Amino acid sequence: MKKLIYAFLIAASASIFIVQVKAQVIVIANNSVKASEVSKNDLKDVFTGASTSLGGGSVVPILLKSGTANEEFLQAYIGKNDTAYRAGWRSLVFSGQATMPKSLDGDTAVVEFVAHNAGAIGYISKATPHEGVKVLAVR
Amino acid sequence: MKRILVSAMALALGAIPATAQSLEDLNIQIHGYATQGFLYTNQNNMFTTPSSNGSPAWTEAVVNVTAQPAPKLRVGVQARYYLLGNFGNAIILDWAAADYKASDKFGVRVGKVKIPSGLLNETQDIDPSYTWALLPQGNYPITSRNSALADYGGVVYGTLSLGQKMGKLEYRGWGGEFAIPSDDGYWVAFREEGIALTNGINGVSSGTALHWKTPVSGLMVGASYSRTNKSSGAFNDTYVVPAGPSKGITITTPGALVLNGGNEPDFFGRFEKNRLMIAGEWSRSDGSLMLQGLSPVPNGYDVRPWYGMATYKVTGKLTAGVYDTQEVNHQSALGPARYFKDWVVSGRYDFNQFLYAKAEQHLIDGTSTGFDTALNPNGLKPNTKLTVLKMGVSF
Repeated sequence: MKKLIYAFLIAASASIFIVQVKAQVIVIANNSVKASEVSKNDLKDVFTGASTSLGGGSVVPILLKSGTANEEFLQAYIGKNDTAYRAGWRSLVFSGQATMPKSLDGDTAVVEFVAHNAGAIGYISKATPHEGVKVLAVR
Repeated sequence: MKRILVSAMALALGAIPATAQSLEDLNIQIHGYATQGFLYTNQNNMFTTPSSNGSPAWTEAVVNVTAQPAPKLRVGVQARYYLLGNFGNAIILDWAAADYKASDKFGVRVGKVKIPSGLLNETQDIDPSYTWALLPQGNYPITSRNSALADYGGVVYGTLSLGQKMGKLEYRGWGGEFAIPSDDGYWVAFREEGIALTNGINGVSSGTALHWKTPVSGLMVGASYSRTNKSSGAFNDTYVVPAGPSKGITITTPGALVLNGGNEPDFFGRFEKNRLMIAGEWSRSDGSLMLQGLSPVPNGYDVRPWYGMATYKVTGKLTAGVYDTQEVNHQSALGPARYFKDWVVSGRYDFNQFLYAKAEQHLIDGTSTGFDTALNPNGLKPNTKLTVLKMGVSF
């Protein structure tokens, strides 16, 4: 019985951790993007190259090269790790179906790029200052 | 010549607005990958390699350059060095195309374009994108891969929303000129009979494909239909008299190989959930060909390959997979040359996002795909165990 309780506690802690991880990443967009919220499916479509529009306007995904926010975003909203995610993009690139999205070095660079490029949409850690961009709520 | 012109036009179309822009604005990207494979069979030589002694004669290197001169316009070109046994050992043009995507609902791609038939045709030559070292050979035979990959023509494509309860429908339509070069694996059996095509065969092909992304998360089902029109190419049949007073004399007979129109319906599905991927595909290719000048009787074929596969991501770096595939030519005589059945277990390890290794074991029954008689002069045995190792790097 003790083992069961321990297992339950570990599982519960893990689920709390996952919820907290999700909350640490926010999705940001250039102010020209009409949408103020995005469904998880639409977000996945944009960041996997299946779609280039959101809320009736064109969008361009911007990626982080690496880091915790990158891993958290990919796990929470794409369901893949960085290696598998980029393999998916390479499949599109090498078959002539898409161009690899820009990958930037850090959160600040993403904010800067998204703020100054119409249609740009990216993700950063919640703690990063993000003036000049809009935050999209993920439904 | 026509093909070079089409490809040049595709590139020029993109280059016109590009002249007034900086390189940064053009978003020029260069990507590539290279793989080295090793094949070992317990008996029978496969893919025109001496695999029963172990063979490293399987190398590929790809370079891809793309630019985006306008938000909705992309242009690109991809070249490939390809060697597999006696095939390839040359640099070929994979594709060269201009792509205009007006919206998610409609886009068009022209030039030398990948044919989007079946579940994996567009990506069957992109080794970094899948777990397997060898895809199911009934559906995606590696020895005649190049001719199935791309056409000189165009593709229209798009995605239509069916509403929240019905998911999305992706469509593709294509048409153009196909080319099966004279050294393609398609002609191995002919070459071994002394029939050599002068310039291969070119013809018109077309098709359509639908992929339904169902409301069930991760589930896609689809179908495609491909058609090739009647086409022909010149050949020379060489026969060396084996005995008698004329022994050793070479007789050459010219003729024309006529491929009558062929049809290929294809049905497929894929389910992805967390670490698991399950997929399956069934297709049928039927038609006939004639050797004018040698025989008035057409040779028919009716090949029906299928596979079922599953992969599981064991850790972030390790993926394991298994598939079963079968192909039967219902027009062939009974015996191992009529079919190809293959049970496969596979593993892929990604050292990082650039470097990976694959290991795969095949248990093959039948000889209809991947075997030639020239490298198996003592005849083919019905069963083969094939081990494949592969390393790849991509950027």
